[in-house]
Amino acid sequence: MDLDADPGPGSWLLPEQERDLVIATEAGDEAACRQLVDAFLPAIGAIARRYDTGGGVERGELIDEGVVGLLRAASRYEPRLNTPFWAYASWWVRQAMQKLVAEVSRPVALSDRALRGLARIAAARRDHIRDHGSDPTTGELAAATGFTAAQLGSLLAIELTPRGIDEGLYADDGSTATFGETVADPHADEDYERVLDGIQMQEVRYLTAALDDRERTVLSGHYGLGQPPQTLREIGEGLGVTPERVRQIEGVALQKLRDAAAQPPGAVTTLT
Amino acid sequence: MSAEGALRHDAFVYETRDEYVDRTIAFLMEGLDAGEAAIVGDSREGLAEMREAFGDDAEQVVFCDLGSTYTRPARTLAAYYGLFLGQLRKAPSVRAVAEMQLGPTPADWDEWTRYEAITNVSYSHLPVWIVCTYNATGLPDPVREGVWQTHAGKLADGWQESREFEDPREVVRNLTPAPNSFPELRAFSVENDVESFRELLARELVAEKVPDAKVLDMLVAGTEIATNALRHGGGIAQVRVGRAEGRFVCEVVDRGSGFDDPLAGYLAPRAGTASGLWVARQLAWRVEFFGAPEGFTARITL
Repeated sequence: MDLDADPGPGSWLLPEQERDLVIATEAGDEAACRQLVDAFLPAIGAIARRYDTGGGVERGELIDEGVVGLLRAASRYEPRLNTPFWAYASWWVRQAMQKLVAEVSRPVALSDRALRGLARIAAARRDHIRDHGSDPTTGELAAATGFTAAQLGSLLAIELTPRGIDEGLYADDGSTATFGETVADPHADEDYERVLDGIQMQEVRYLTAALDDRERTVLSGHYGLGQPPQTLREIGEGLGVTPERVRQIEGVALQKLRDAAAQPPGAVTTLT
Repeated sequence: MSAEGALRHDAFVYETRDEYVDRTIAFLMEGLDAGEAAIVGDSREGLAEMREAFGDDAEQVVFCDLGSTYTRPARTLAAYYGLFLGQLRKAPSVRAVAEMQLGPTPADWDEWTRYEAITNVSYSHLPVWIVCTYNATGLPDPVREGVWQTHAGKLADGWQESREFEDPREVVRNLTPAPNSFPELRAFSVENDVESFRELLARELVAEKVPDAKVLDMLVAGTEIATNALRHGGGIAQVRVGRAEGRFVCEVVDRGSGFDDPLAGYLAPRAGTASGLWVARQLAWRVEFFGAPEGFTARITL
């Protein structure tokens, strides 16, 4: 990682605000997650522009991957090390985008399934040109073939001629730029909104799923969660049971929480 | 197999993705042919590549997107533990290929080298053969060195013993940073019972506006730590709580002489072993144990 190359602050947030949002995001706070993503979307968009090859991967997909990278960074970031968050997170954002680009542009030996997919896309494209006199958009192709945008991107990338994002372009006035820097960005704002709407929160283990309503009532009442704390007697009066029974319910509830925590998490996505 | 039990934990540093695919598939197919289960843990992109390469045999393999589970070592250990248990219900033993998800900073490298060392002990009771894979391209030298320190065997021309392999406890001890001092925490005396401790802890958590779900996490983790102090530490001498470095922190100072086990809480639950510290590590961002002027201290950072 080139942490020496200062990527800038990445957002308008003060360092302490940034740290608190990162910590809250890691803890599963959805509002904090949205604020964090919102704050860093311009910086993610700027990186996406560099990877936008104008063909195989759509800008929205790059930004999606960038957001995934940002959230991955948030889930691992250690504020105590005093590395600025964006210096850390921008590495994850770039890595996520690089992987997506590599995934859709690597040479592959096509499986039968991929060949059938390409044939389906070609047929849909021919039909669209015949009916409308123009090339279909990615959305129209997706609708016609049943593939997702990501699947389409992967399949269509096979047919692309790769072009380096750092490929130099030379203007008549002698100025130079890279191909990546010149890629048009007409739909950036729409992409930002779409990504914000589509944020998938990281899976967080909520132990309370293991509890029934009465157990939740007892724990919330006794420990003052969302309400002033109550004594066991007060809780018991509300439930129509003795204080000792409330204590027993609490003990069972805590044991259930402990057992749930001891179990392996169900967050791993298995694809069989 | 490791000296401690059934686990075998080896490494494969590959030069090209073709080499990675060819060698790991051969390893897993050998296991499948012998009736073992096969797991591939990788990022989504790596899984697509492996699935393609397996062809029709892919149906026999469990592909796991582990990109989001490499957050904290304790949680990654738990994720793999769950996978292994699931497959061991169907097969007598498991072979797994796990692509390491490294981070960008030296602190990340240390963290995941510690994780690799801990793996040797955490699953030592399971009949599992794990091959951790690393892409040699751009692999930082400290990580490469750590790979050989933390894996007893390596896949090269054939299976070879790693002469650099070190005692996992020593690796973890050497790579664990010293705990920071948090003078801003508020100190309390509590009765020597867990209920009083929990009520104090809950009051402080609510006062610090910690979300309810996280309050319960801390109450459960804190209960385990406090119970430990009462059973093995001669009682609770002091409790210190508050926010430090942006997170809620709870320290339990006991009256005992403490212990020196850098792997405490990293052993996956098994018969005959207490799982209290494992539970605490699952629920917290970090759990530390250290000697302090006030006494032996267990610190939970939420």
